[in-house]
Amino acid sequence: MADTPPLPWLYPYREDAQSLRLGQPVYRPFVYVSLAYGDQSVWNLDGLIDTGADAVLASSLLAVPLGIDLDDNEGEQDHGVGGRVLTARYKTVGLHLHPSDSSQGTYIEWEAQVGFVESWHSDGLVLLGSVGFLDEFTVTASRFAQAVAVEDRDAFDERFGTVLSA
Amino acid sequence: MEAVRTDFTGYEGQYVAIDARTGRIVLANEDLLALLEEVKGHDHVSVRGRVPYADEPLYHFGLG
Repeated sequence: MADTPPLPWLYPYREDAQSLRLGQPVYRPFVYVSLAYGDQSVWNLDGLIDTGADAVLASSLLAVPLGIDLDDNEGEQDHGVGGRVLTARYKTVGLHLHPSDSSQGTYIEWEAQVGFVESWHSDGLVLLGSVGFLDEFTVTASRFAQAVAVEDRDAFDERFGTVLSA
Repeated sequence: MEAVRTDFTGYEGQYVAIDARTGRIVLANEDLLALLEEVKGHDHVSVRGRVPYADEPLYHFGLG
């Protein structure tokens, strides 16, 4: 693996082929991820950061090249996504985050349960939600700056102090 | 920063792989698994997903 530059990593917002708003293109916070399981991996996937998502979700098609038997899963859960109810079958896999030039040789890796979903309407995408991504990094998104910054997960507490519930 | 534009015209119904540095589509295939094979060895390229046809419903992500 190449030398990994220190965080924060900055990513420009990117146009989404899936969406228009009032006839105008929609820009979204995409980052670059790979999935790994055993000695198999799927590289070069766009990951959409979604603070409204509970988990990391991906197409069940991606389980094929990873060699994952989804019948041997760690749990199933129904999720509402895009107005539909989809069943995710969870399996712990390795995830890699790549920098904004999508360099394959540079990444930060961690493990998380990924929910693999049948009939995912955008099969190449990985949806990066709270458990499995937003608990690994501090993410700052700005539509004004048209960019998203990914930092160490402790960066939030260092910037704002530890927030305790009332 | 400036958002990265991509011209998806003509790729409807196909999965696309985009050069992260330019936003340009460099590979496309109707079969996602075939496209994932094709992108192996292409650095700085990522697979975005399937480009919808104009008359397809637009899906919006988000579980919240």
